[in-house]
Amino acid sequence: MLTIDSSVPASKFSALADPRRREIFESLVGGSRSVADIAREMPVTRPAVSQHLKVLMDAGLVRHRVAGTRHLYRIDPAGVGAIRDYLDALWRLALESFKQEAERAYSETKDQQK
Amino acid sequence: MTPSKILTTHSSPVVAESVVNVPQAFAFETFTKQGTWWPMATHHIGEQPAVDVVVEPKSGGRWYEKAADGTECLWGDVLIYDPFARLVLGWHLNAKWEFDPEFVTEVEVTFTAVGPETTRVKIEHRDMEKYGADEEAVNRALRSEQGWPGMLKMYTEQASRK
Repeated sequence: MLTIDSSVPASKFSALADPRRREIFESLVGGSRSVADIAREMPVTRPAVSQHLKVLMDAGLVRHRVAGTRHLYRIDPAGVGAIRDYLDALWRLALESFKQEAERAYSETKDQQK
Repeated sequence: MTPSKILTTHSSPVVAESVVNVPQAFAFETFTKQGTWWPMATHHIGEQPAVDVVVEPKSGGRWYEKAADGTECLWGDVLIYDPFARLVLGWHLNAKWEFDPEFVTEVEVTFTAVGPETTRVKIEHRDMEKYGADEEAVNRALRSEQGWPGMLKMYTEQASRK
């Protein structure tokens, strides 16, 4: 079984693991929105939306700015961080998979030589 | 965030390292037979699932995935093929997760013998700043079908495994 090293930054993974939070995150793909905008479209209260946004911000996935009296949220354009994290997770996964296969194949080779 | 900030924050290379209990030459050869161990079911760029991942065994060779019907999708090329110590691959997948001949980041894999049957394998994927050089491309990636949703899927798959 393939597993990810526990040292992979977990915050982005866990932040997006919650389906509602992912839905909120995806709703920001089109552009900046306020808590009220998001709460209008989903069966979630404003405090709950705020809470989800806070988790997404802590994970570095969403940014916040104030426009007049409105608090707007958008996806963090430093998506490069996400790409880097993705590649980090990908290579860890690949390396673990490689290690397992190499060791399995090698012990098989040795068994044949016996 | 200014581009220079992105650069300093995100330009450090991605490094993965592991000690594998096989001889150095065996490690190198298995690594280049990527179709035997690459997580192809979840990680391919073509429309169809990949059945093999080929690293042509020469500097200047191609690096690609292959589908069951023979369709090939390029990932990049082999920059340095130096058995059994080093392999440098050119990763030509851009921020939109597409093959792009103009875009390249380097993946260096080193195999160091630490014992007759023990090898330290280190993967270093560098040039991360190239993904940050073009904020527009990153923004497009966030919106593209192949880019962000795919990453999201992987994040969540991993999260659910925990």
